Amino acid sequence: MDVAIRTEGLTKDYGGGAGLFDLDLQVESGEVFGYLGPNGAGKTTTIRLLMDMIRPTRGRAEVFAIDCQAHPVQVKREVGYVPGEMPQWGALRGREVVAYVGGLRGGADAGAVSSLATRLDLDLGRRFREYSSGNKRKLGLVLAFMHRPRLLVLDEPTNGLDPLIQQEFFRMIEEVRERGATVFLSSHVLSEVERICQRVGILRRGHLVQVARLDELHHLRYHRLEVDFAGEVPLEAIRACPGIDHVASEDHHLVCDVHGSVAPLLEALGRGQVLNLVTHEPSLEEVFLAQFRDEPVGTGDAAEVKA
Amino acid sequence: MSTATASVPPTTLRLRRRRAPLVRFGLRSQRWWFAAIAFIGFVAPYSTGATYLAAVPNAAARATFAQATQTIGTALAYLIPVPQRPDTVAGYMWWKGLTFLTLLFAAWGLAAAVSLVRADEERGVTEIWLATPVARVRALLSGTGAFIAAVLGAAAFTALGIGGGLEVAKVSASAGAVIGQCLPLVGIAMACFAIGLVVAQLASTRRGALGLGTVVLLALYTVDALARVNAGMVGVAVISPFHLADISTPLVPGGSLDGAATVSLFAIAVVLVALAVLGFARRDLYASLLRRRGRIVRITVTPSGNPFFREAILSRLWQQRIGLVGWTAGTAIGAALLVSIAHSTGGVLKGMGGISRLLTASGTAGDPSLYVVSSIWFGIAALVLAAYAIAQVTRWASDDVEGRLEMEIAQPVARWRVVLQRIVSLTLVSALIAAVGSLVTGAILPSQGLDIGTGPLVLSTALLVPLALSYGALGALIISRVPRIAMGLLSFIAVLGFYLPLFVPLFRWPDWVQDFSFFHLYGTPLVTGVFWTGLWIMLGIIVVGFGGATLAMSRREVGR
Repeated sequence: MDVAIRTEGLTKDYGGGAGLFDLDLQVESGEVFGYLGPNGAGKTTTIRLLMDMIRPTRGRAEVFAIDCQAHPVQVKREVGYVPGEMPQWGALRGREVVAYVGGLRGGADAGAVSSLATRLDLDLGRRFREYSSGNKRKLGLVLAFMHRPRLLVLDEPTNGLDPLIQQEFFRMIEEVRERGATVFLSSHVLSEVERICQRVGILRRGHLVQVARLDELHHLRYHRLEVDFAGEVPLEAIRACPGIDHVASEDHHLVCDVHGSVAPLLEALGRGQVLNLVTHEPSLEEVFLAQFRDEPVGTGDAAEVKA
Repeated sequence: MSTATASVPPTTLRLRRRRAPLVRFGLRSQRWWFAAIAFIGFVAPYSTGATYLAAVPNAAARATFAQATQTIGTALAYLIPVPQRPDTVAGYMWWKGLTFLTLLFAAWGLAAAVSLVRADEERGVTEIWLATPVARVRALLSGTGAFIAAVLGAAAFTALGIGGGLEVAKVSASAGAVIGQCLPLVGIAMACFAIGLVVAQLASTRRGALGLGTVVLLALYTVDALARVNAGMVGVAVISPFHLADISTPLVPGGSLDGAATVSLFAIAVVLVALAVLGFARRDLYASLLRRRGRIVRITVTPSGNPFFREAILSRLWQQRIGLVGWTAGTAIGAALLVSIAHSTGGVLKGMGGISRLLTASGTAGDPSLYVVSSIWFGIAALVLAAYAIAQVTRWASDDVEGRLEMEIAQPVARWRVVLQRIVSLTLVSALIAAVGSLVTGAILPSQGLDIGTGPLVLSTALLVPLALSYGALGALIISRVPRIAMGLLSFIAVLGFYLPLFVPLFRWPDWVQDFSFFHLYGTPLVTGVFWTGLWIMLGIIVVGFGGATLAMSRREVGR
């Protein structure tokens, strides 16, 4: 399988610990890859390096085996791009923006534009400054998809989109994948990544801390239990159980997380008088937050990366 | 446990409260305008006073000069106020330095008001303020207060310039007259600011408000101009802040401060600010006070078929078509007005012994009418082209700051092509503006008894293009490092360049210092041909500037 994106030791050091450090990443052709991390983790920096907007401190990036810094024009022929923040086109109408950006690519396919605008429910006759933030984002999607690129680089593409349009966007991504194109999308919303991506990379403070298929990450999943007792909470027995984490107890109410089997915990709970027990499986978002919130990053993390 | 640890206050992270944040923000917004106007406010009267005696050293020369100035001023009455006592330093200073400042203070007022209302709203700043416990009235009045403070500061610099200019010319004037002469400047700025505030409630965008405000001010200026040439219009002219400002001349010997007119200026400002506050309180944020009825619109889902958008350079031109018409029409009108008085003005100049040296230096000793066309009209045309180039550089800088450049180079477009497109579009439009101005000039010249042939006219026109490109090249270089300050810095360079030819003889600086002025480098090609040194320097700046900008563009980082 071809490689759509490859980075080797890609680093952008802004000083003071900010930036992106030693990114080794490979995204296969035809893959939908989710790039996750909290604000300031380095997602947009990675995307801007791929798009040759900014220059690496060291390391290199390639798109379809073309060096992003040496041959940026060739790279951009293959790429459709949605920036994190849409540019201000002021008084230009949506259709004029489409014609202008299309003109820079040698012409816009009216049929493709019309289809995209209809699907996204976007009126191209309005002036850009009259668009809501959601409509500006839709225009960005039209500009990125209209020339049927081999690679879509999307920086938080669903920001500001309403749920119905988000569903349409997911369908568009599905179609893009079916025709063999690659999608690299950044997000801090795990649920949308969970919905459309095959693999995810997790970024934290400029370091890639994990790359894995979604199903491989399920071992990180856990159950959260909430238990009400009639009398005292048997805290010592509960804390002694294997796989127990984040135990919190107040009055006769207990909350804890359980990794793996719940049998030992149920036995410990039996030492008290249980009135009510509720359990639920956290979303991937909560899973990742719990996993990466407090871990230090640095050289030790590099060994954990499963790229 | 130590007692020191126990006594640590629990609120160590309490934020420091700053007083009057809205006024501080307003002052910060005005800083560039303030710097520019304060600088010009000081330099314009000072340089007028300082050069007056050198130009007319004795009583005879002064009388001839005054007669000529009076004649020229009367001929130009539909453009600028009629001179008063130009035989005195103070009179000439009022006419040459201060009437021009009236226009600048007025423009500042309009720009500041539009910025306070519409630009802050478009940037989302107003919404942030109003999301805090700040009433709309307070938000608007705080900005107004900041503007008043800035205007008073600029007026103080103007007063210093007037005092300094008179001091250098060894003329005494009372502090009351100097301060009194600055009062109408503050008044016109306040009145135009208030007009801008009202207009900004009626328009829904910054550009719309600026356009509508400009039309209103031009109309009011026209009323004042008509009153100058038609006594029957004086009754109507009291509605014009320009008229109310111009009739106060306490600095001019025999003149006085028109108390009623000055109070009227401030009264207009107060009433209009109150109206603007009412309007702001009633309207929706981001909307005009005049709501349009909702209309059924057809949804469009196809790209524009406009052929201009298929090519980057044509697209750039199309996007600025309205401004382009304005620049071109303005230049044509300016050419028509100034060239049509070349003969009468030249006749007056011919009778003036005092400026024969000036005419000889400009190469027009034989025909002073030619001096009017060559030095005055083409001097103004050079200023127009410089202003256009600065406007373009500002546009390039905003392309960067507002993310359009990022989107452009996210397409398969080499970075050097972006710089090339800018050069080509600046060249084309500069050539167009210069050509239209010259066509009008060429059409009117025969009526003034001037036959200079096509060659010199074409040469003078063609050389305006490298002048505009020099500003463009310098601007391109500046925006590759610091896009946000490009307009201010370039404007400062232009203003300095405009005054430099005045300063060099005044302060007895070496002649080569004049070469830092693009206006000097342009020369007077209509009568003296190409100033080769100037042309080579300009070409060098163009090559180095745009070359450096291309190199910087290929290496620099783009993105907000």
